[in-house]
Amino acid sequence: MSLLSVRGARRVFQTPEGGRLAALDGVDLQVGAEEFVTLLGPSGCGKTTLLRAISGFEALDEGTIHLQGADLLRLAPYRRPVNTVFQSYALFGHMSVARNVGYALEVRGMGRAARQARVDEALEKVGLSGLGARAIGQLSGGQRQRVALARAIVAEPRLLLLDEPLSALDRNLRQQMQLELKALQARLGIAFVFVTHDQEEALTMSDRVVVMRKGRIEQIGPPREIYRKPRTRFVAEFIGETNLFDLDAQGRTPEGLIFAVPNPPAARFTACLRPSDFHLAEQGIAGVVTKVVYLGADLHLYVQPKVGGPELRVTARDHAAAPVVGAEVHLGHDPEALHLLEA
Amino acid sequence: MRSLLTLWSLAFFAFIYAPLAVIVAYSFNANPVNMMIWDGFTLDWYRGLFGAAVERPASDALYIENTDQLLAALRTSLTVAFFTTTIATVLGTSLAIALGRGRFVGQKALGGFLLLPMMMPDIVLGIGLLIFFLTLGMQLSLLTIIIGHCTFLISYVFVIVQARLAGLDPALEEASADLGASPFVTLRKVLIPQLAPGILGGALLAFVISMDDLVITYFIAGTDNTTLPVFIFGMIRRGVKPEINAIATLIILSSVVIAGLGLWLRARKTPA
Repeated sequence: MSLLSVRGARRVFQTPEGGRLAALDGVDLQVGAEEFVTLLGPSGCGKTTLLRAISGFEALDEGTIHLQGADLLRLAPYRRPVNTVFQSYALFGHMSVARNVGYALEVRGMGRAARQARVDEALEKVGLSGLGARAIGQLSGGQRQRVALARAIVAEPRLLLLDEPLSALDRNLRQQMQLELKALQARLGIAFVFVTHDQEEALTMSDRVVVMRKGRIEQIGPPREIYRKPRTRFVAEFIGETNLFDLDAQGRTPEGLIFAVPNPPAARFTACLRPSDFHLAEQGIAGVVTKVVYLGADLHLYVQPKVGGPELRVTARDHAAAPVVGAEVHLGHDPEALHLLEA
Repeated sequence: MRSLLTLWSLAFFAFIYAPLAVIVAYSFNANPVNMMIWDGFTLDWYRGLFGAAVERPASDALYIENTDQLLAALRTSLTVAFFTTTIATVLGTSLAIALGRGRFVGQKALGGFLLLPMMMPDIVLGIGLLIFFLTLGMQLSLLTIIIGHCTFLISYVFVIVQARLAGLDPALEEASADLGASPFVTLRKVLIPQLAPGILGGALLAFVISMDDLVITYFIAGTDNTTLPVFIFGMIRRGVKPEINAIATLIILSSVVIAGLGLWLRARKTPA
């Protein structure tokens, strides 16, 4: 049985203009006991609303949420056995680091001495040993992030909710924290539900990614599946860069590019190819390089096919003989890599 | 341009502080009849305030002989300010929290009504309170002064605490609830400590305004209870006496101390 079970969650907001907006429009989600699940989507897709419905700060109009079989919706937020890491960290500025971390134990009536050991342990888990006496104002952004994390795990919840906790950190620190969070989750053996709009973050950390759009779940799956086998056009475009082709039953684009499609699913359908699935070849799609973006080890080429249509994005290794703007190239691809979208 | 700006700033501060400086200077002037003429340094007016016998010219017949009256007025003012500050701070803070965090019908309108007493001319409020008390058949007393002061000081505390509350991240209270604290525990352990600088600021302001109020108090004080401003006003009508400068100087001094205390407490407890 799954740890968390959300069924048929619906939440409709009144917009200021008097319209109605479904932040959640029939969401079903199961989260396993030790699973790292990421809710990914653009702003306004309902991911934060779903998280807040689980923590109790947002009500549902319809649907149920169960944690280990217990009905969460019947419990006030402060009685729910889940903890949250907030986007703004929401640390208590009038308390020391140690008192922040021990807050969940303090309000449960645990004595000072008993708290101390648990607080030290939590601080150690997030790599802040010895900083308990500091004031919150003395900490860097990264350290505050860790205090928020320690504070949320000190009561040993079975499920930790994280609301875009890394968005305020700079890129290097963010990447480091991504790895640490994943490691911490594995070590604690609890479930994480992580909200982000950063697809790279989602792919890096998750066991499963839930891609949301307009209050609905667009696709659920492991990162590789989400990236390699997007179900819809939206997922294909939202996750990484991609080339989309509208094909007919013969595998032809309106401009006349031809792809090998053994079993076309319909008279008209869409297929996608990642930039890395193309390679420079002796023959294939003929085109002219219009733009070269330098990415370090790789180059990102924009190639205008000679037959017309949208530019193609192609990843190429950077070397001395790499194409420059204006060069004529031919593009080949692995026929297996062409992925057909369902919608 | 730069020196012009400097000059402007200096002129500005001179404009604001010159009257205060004059009062402080005159409070040490030995000339008892015409304070415009410097007659040498003296501490007599201060001594007089505190009951020491001071030699004075016979011409000065209308002198306040009774220092006890002055001290009684000061005591009345302090009593009123103490109770008013306590009541206004508790009620104003509760109102700010209720209007800022609760959810009920007419919330916005209520917030607007709370600002009204601050805008209201004192004289209107004073007459209104007087008629109100008389209609109820209440004797004018210490109690009516306290009630009268509270009616508008609640608004001051409310406004200051509300501003602080509006700047507070609502996620703080959510985090507290998320970590298992009931609404009451959240109020006690998170909300009130976070609002403390605002509550303190509101309380100090209420105290100072209550000590200072003349117009409203004049209507509702009755004859037995005279506050310091009302007493001073009465003195001035009988001619400006040098003691007034000494009283004013002491009031300035205590205001500076209170304001400084407020600023210091605020700087010390600035949450991240």
